Amino acid sequence: MKILYGDEWRAFDLTGLSVGVLVPPDQAARIVPAVVGSARAVKVFQDSPVWVVPVAVPRVGPVVSLARLHLRMAVRDAWTRRLLTPGRFGSREVVVSPSYYRALEQPHCKLVAWPVYAIVEHGVRTAEGIEHRLDVLITANPLGKAKAA
Amino acid sequence: MTYDFDAMLQTIKDKQWSLADIEWDAPGAETMTDELRAKMQPFLADLVWIEHVGARGFASLARKAPTPVVREIYEYFHAEEQKHANAELALMKRWGMLDEDGSIPEPNINVKLAIKTLDAFGDSLPLSALATLIPLLECALDGALVKFLLDEVSDPVCHEVFRHINSDEARHITVDFQVLELIGAGPMHRLLVESASNLKPQVVLGLIVVFVPLINKMRDNIVAMGLPEQKLYNAVKRFRTIGGRGEYTHRIPAYHVLKAQAAMVIDRSHPYHRLLADPMVKVTSFVPARILGRPQTWVDEVTHEPVAS
Ligand SMILES: [Fe+2]
Ligand SMILES: [Fe+2]
Repeated sequence: MKILYGDEWRAFDLTGLSVGVLVPPDQAARIVPAVVGSARAVKVFQDSPVWVVPVAVPRVGPVVSLARLHLRMAVRDAWTRRLLTPGRFGSREVVVSPSYYRALEQPHCKLVAWPVYAIVEHGVRTAEGIEHRLDVLITANPLGKAKAA
Repeated sequence: MTYDFDAMLQTIKDKQWSLADIEWDAPGAETMTDELRAKMQPFLADLVWIEHVGARGFASLARKAPTPVVREIYEYFHAEEQKHANAELALMKRWGMLDEDGSIPEPNINVKLAIKTLDAFGDSLPLSALATLIPLLECALDGALVKFLLDEVSDPVCHEVFRHINSDEARHITVDFQVLELIGAGPMHRLLVESASNLKPQVVLGLIVVFVPLINKMRDNIVAMGLPEQKLYNAVKRFRTIGGRGEYTHRIPAYHVLKAQAAMVIDRSHPYHRLLADPMVKVTSFVPARILGRPQTWVDEVTHEPVAS
């Protein structure tokens, strides 16, 4: 499994590959729609969800209502919607992305909300006991590593 | 009240294991005789479903955890129960207990009703009720069902798998009761208000209709397979003992309700069975599964494959 840090994925041809995305949610909302077109399969490893709105709104009042409505309309499956709904200790962050949910809804894209506990030679191991095999893992810059060009 | 949940979370992360750590083709599968296979197949199918439904219970608990660290612990427990279901399904596969496509056997109507209830009400049940129900079920699972399985089956791979599972379960039970202490130490009025306000009569009735026959059917099935009733008795005693050791747990109303309920369930001569539980097993057996509709998609997530591509 090849590991791509930070923005390295932009310069990498993902065509036909099985790709894992293990990054904070604001980055996932940016990366997943960009890679879902070329990759053969995408697994999005989610730590905890944030609210997503399709367009920027002033940070007042009904932003969570809008995010809820967006989720309700964009994601068909009730259990997936639950996985994408922030809990009471969830982050207050709101991410703007018109295409994140649509990307997640692609049949070859899968949201994995189980906790990731190890990155191994051929994939990612999550706490439900399964090793998710991947060709490429896109993840955040490791601490101390300079931002890749 | 100084339990260190942070240290526990770290231990949980350190102790993670994977189905890929187990050598599923190792020798020993031949110890499963035809006779034992026929006897254990329905037992294991029930066990997989209990773990799977237990996982869903932790998913609801995670939503209402009292602190962010406890929430993260519950998220791991949600995953670990799923791992137990996956590993037990893999054992079933190893022993030739699954059909061609390797999928989990259909659950009985009472399990289906429980799934439906968790989907509909799970996230809105009061924390104290759910947080009390789970350790009771874990004591029963750990103390009675798993011990029974390990007494009956000698396959070394099974024993290896259950060394992992039992070590997970020891942590589950520790945390379950420490959370009860945390809840019980809260203000009394909150405990009462929380239990009273969320428990609308129709929800209470729903819970009785679903869980009374579910537990009883399982109880009788398992005793019929040869589980000594003494083991059930010990499991409930353990729930009482650990709960009784706590300083604040006894302040939780749900703890007393479930303790009394459990005592009736294990005593087959108690009128509870004749008057309530047995008739309800009978009534629910007439419920056609199709009126429940499709369950949510989490029920499709169990797999015996250690590796997913
Ligand atoms: Fe378990
Ligand atoms: Fe457990």
